[in-house]
Amino acid sequence: MRVFKAAAAVTAAGLVLAACGSDDGGDGGSGSADEPVELTFQTLAWQTASIKANEQIVKTWNEENPDIQVELLQGDWNNVHDQLVTSFEGGTAPDVFHYESTTLLDFSDRGNVLDLSEYLSDGIREDIRQGAWDTVTYDDGVYGVPFLQESQVVFANKAVVDKAGIELPTIEDPWTWDEFAAAAQKLTTENRYGAVFPLKSPANRVLNLGRNFGADYFSDPSGDAKAVFGDAEAEVPQRIHEMIYTDETASPDGVGMSSSDALPAFFDGQYALLPGAIWLRQQLTEQAPDGFEWITLPALEGDSQQQGAVAQTLSVSASTEHPEEAVQFIEYFLNAENQVKLAAGDWLLPTSQEAAKSPRLNDEATGWDVATATADNLEMAPFQQVKGFEEWKSKIANPALQEYFSDEISIEELGTKLTEDGNEILERYQR
Amino acid sequence: MNRRRPAVTSLKYLALVTYLIFLAFPLFWLISTSLKTPQEIALIDPTMIPREITFDNFTTAFSEQPIVRSILNTTLVAGASCVLTVLLSIPAAYVMARYRSTLSRATLVWVLLSQIFPFILVIIPLFLLLRDFGLYDTYIGLITVYVVWSMPFALWMLRSYVATIPYELEEAASMDGASKARTIKDIVAPLLAPGVVAAGLFAFVSAWNEFMFALVLIRSPEQQTLSLTLVKFIGAEGVARLGPLAAASLVATVPSLIFFAIMQRRLTGGLLGGAVKS
Amino acid sequence: MSAAPTVERPPASTPSPRRPRRTWLGLDRDGLILAIPALIPVVVFSVYPLLRGIYLGFTDARAGRANETSFTGFENYASLLDDSYFWESFRIGLVWAFSVTILQFVFALGLASLLNQKIRMRWLARTLALVPWAMPQVVVGIMWRLVYHPNAGILNSVLMDLGVIDGNVDWLSSFEVALPAVIVVGIWAGMPQTTVVLLAGLQSVSKELHEAAAMDGAGVWQRFRNVTWPAIKPVVLAITTLDFIWNFNSFGLVYVLTEGGPGGATRLPLLFAYEEAFRYGNYGYAAALGNAMVVVIALFVVFYLRQRMKEADER
Repeated sequence: MRVFKAAAAVTAAGLVLAACGSDDGGDGGSGSADEPVELTFQTLAWQTASIKANEQIVKTWNEENPDIQVELLQGDWNNVHDQLVTSFEGGTAPDVFHYESTTLLDFSDRGNVLDLSEYLSDGIREDIRQGAWDTVTYDDGVYGVPFLQESQVVFANKAVVDKAGIELPTIEDPWTWDEFAAAAQKLTTENRYGAVFPLKSPANRVLNLGRNFGADYFSDPSGDAKAVFGDAEAEVPQRIHEMIYTDETASPDGVGMSSSDALPAFFDGQYALLPGAIWLRQQLTEQAPDGFEWITLPALEGDSQQQGAVAQTLSVSASTEHPEEAVQFIEYFLNAENQVKLAAGDWLLPTSQEAAKSPRLNDEATGWDVATATADNLEMAPFQQVKGFEEWKSKIANPALQEYFSDEISIEELGTKLTEDGNEILERYQR
Repeated sequence: MNRRRPAVTSLKYLALVTYLIFLAFPLFWLISTSLKTPQEIALIDPTMIPREITFDNFTTAFSEQPIVRSILNTTLVAGASCVLTVLLSIPAAYVMARYRSTLSRATLVWVLLSQIFPFILVIIPLFLLLRDFGLYDTYIGLITVYVVWSMPFALWMLRSYVATIPYELEEAASMDGASKARTIKDIVAPLLAPGVVAAGLFAFVSAWNEFMFALVLIRSPEQQTLSLTLVKFIGAEGVARLGPLAAASLVATVPSLIFFAIMQRRLTGGLLGGAVKS
Repeated sequence: MSAAPTVERPPASTPSPRRPRRTWLGLDRDGLILAIPALIPVVVFSVYPLLRGIYLGFTDARAGRANETSFTGFENYASLLDDSYFWESFRIGLVWAFSVTILQFVFALGLASLLNQKIRMRWLARTLALVPWAMPQVVVGIMWRLVYHPNAGILNSVLMDLGVIDGNVDWLSSFEVALPAVIVVGIWAGMPQTTVVLLAGLQSVSKELHEAAAMDGAGVWQRFRNVTWPAIKPVVLAITTLDFIWNFNSFGLVYVLTEGGPGGATRLPLLFAYEEAFRYGNYGYAAALGNAMVVVIALFVVFYLRQRMKEADER
């Protein structure tokens, strides 16, 4: 039986490659002829629109593929890690699961996720941006299909910036960090801070924005990684700190806030500029009081506009009995047409280049033009390949950055903590 | 008792009201939030009573998640856990309190150890065990775990309640030739009523609220318990859809409050209430 | 521990002397019949996984399909001694566990005494007192975050209206107040449990004794000390012990509130064990952290129980 299955799998893989993602590959599956292949798919969709999109896509698939039936399960972002880790131990993981590129290195090391490189068709390989593929590729293995990415932009209270006579940046001519600081200065009044940086879990944000100045934070990320902290790495934290404590143009309240926490005061006009991720547009649209106008400003420019980015992914559990059917489903789920729906539902960037051209994802009124323009500047977040990054982040980087942004330690002390204390942790992973 | 001056009585009520505001204001907040529009939820000066009342949050919550279904599921699981925990614990607690045996001592060690050793580290071994018993994705598996892990508390508490019952009461019964089981049923259990209620409430609430084990054991959407359903309103980076979450949570809170309202009566009477007099 | 922390010891001749005593683990047939239904599931689904969990602490178990686990003896504990972050969190954990347990006990005793009296609408008061128990855990952390919100929170706006503070306080991210702020939430969350247990305990206080003492002219305090306290003592001992253990072993609520911040000021010890197991996949090391916590808490608990029992014996 096993031999038969393996043979069938190889044949099916060949068929799939040849069929190049066409939808009739179902009959090449390894299940018996009568019984349809059953797959479980766990999504993390949680906004109304994206839950609907998920349900609708799976429904259509099930109608069109009677011999590969997919059961949709709903997981949740905050607990999916614990759930997956446990179900990998017990062999009960869903065949296809939605998660994030940052976790795939660990999962692939442990043999929990399938290397998809031999299953993927050329069609999807070409449609999805290379920068996105980078986030799921380790040593030639492809451990998931990337599909949604977030990027950082700046939101502004339109009435306030108009009144202050601020000249707004454009996609072609974005603000530099200096220009941003100057605008914040101009916008600061007795009752208003020019800006607020929500810094609740600062590490990811600082590291991703650090790419603006070419900050690496690690040397040799994919090998014997060491934490480093030089001038480039100090740029972003220092600039934020300066705006909070020297210029006093950024609100100190932001230190403990998530971006959603900052919204009430942003709507109240207490902050003029709010740097945040593009998904925040969903909440801005839903929660802004009547008459409040907000606009999306392009990402800031340092030496460049490059940003580190991770991707949401669909991966296949290593214990699945139907890898080729699983990949067929993923390729359908993430085709350009469906990616438009998913991206719109979550207010995030699609990785499909075809999808990014959709008029729905270029609407100026909701900042889609600005959001979509950031796609070219997204590169794989450098830390993603560092073994032990999660522990470094949790035990060292987040606490140390919080201390620095609360003005409890100096930038030098921050550097020492990130590197000296940090390297002690990283060393353990290299033994 | 109440022959005192009215000042003392007023003070008493003042203290009680302060306690209740501290403990129960979240319920008020939950009701208020569930009736607000998204705009009102994001106001800088939070309103206590919504300016504009909407039921959209309830509509959304009910249409997106199987709330009623999961309340029924959870009631079944928590109810069964509560009953089984109590039934198994009373005799065992009696043995622990009345026999100075090796087993009683071993049980005491187990009770403490099971509470001290972090449950979260037992989850994976326990999960693998249940899978091997064929209990993955079943209520029986969930109930078994809840019963077994509520028992340390139930035993520990019931044992100390048994200790407050004078042994003479039982001796009288056993003189009359009643068996141990009978003595417990007729004499000890009624006296224990408040303790049993305390233990039963604990077992119910633990099962009602448990999340982590349900997360790994239950897969089928139609078998989900409440805590699993509610987290689906929370997304990446802890951002919550407050309106629907509050609406769903409110609906989830009501059944347990009703259960408490019924059970609380049984917290009085019981122990020595009538027995000693007779 | 030579004996259970029972205050009233049963007479030595507990089992009926008329029946020949055949004992197993010190139990006669009646005892066994009573204990066995509980014993079997406990051994299978609790004792076994517990022992397995403890054993893992002496191995190098790691997540992953290809990994072989081998027994490493005390190796984990050697690296544990160097783990300064973990030990630092112990201090925070002890402050947290002691504050929450003690304050919770004091407040709950007050509330339980009030709820034990004949008051109007007692059923309603009792039910409302259990609200923290009835509220789903997921919404509790989110709600308290909103209460503590630096500029849109109810707490700051109420305190400002009362004139207690003149500027917004950032409760959860200021180094001074973050720990006290989460302790308040901890007390809130655990109040119903402790209150219910104490309320049940108060039922065992003999009304006759109370009335007799009142006749003799004993004041409120004297009656509490001489009548109420001795009667509820076994229950107090049991619940404070468990509360302490539970509080020391909790981290979920605090994690939702602060994620261990600011700067690690609210990182509780169990968070380390949780992260080791579920985030970094070091099951062996995580279990070793768990074992270390067991030893430390067990020391406190045994000391506490002994102390109380000695007092009981001296009376």
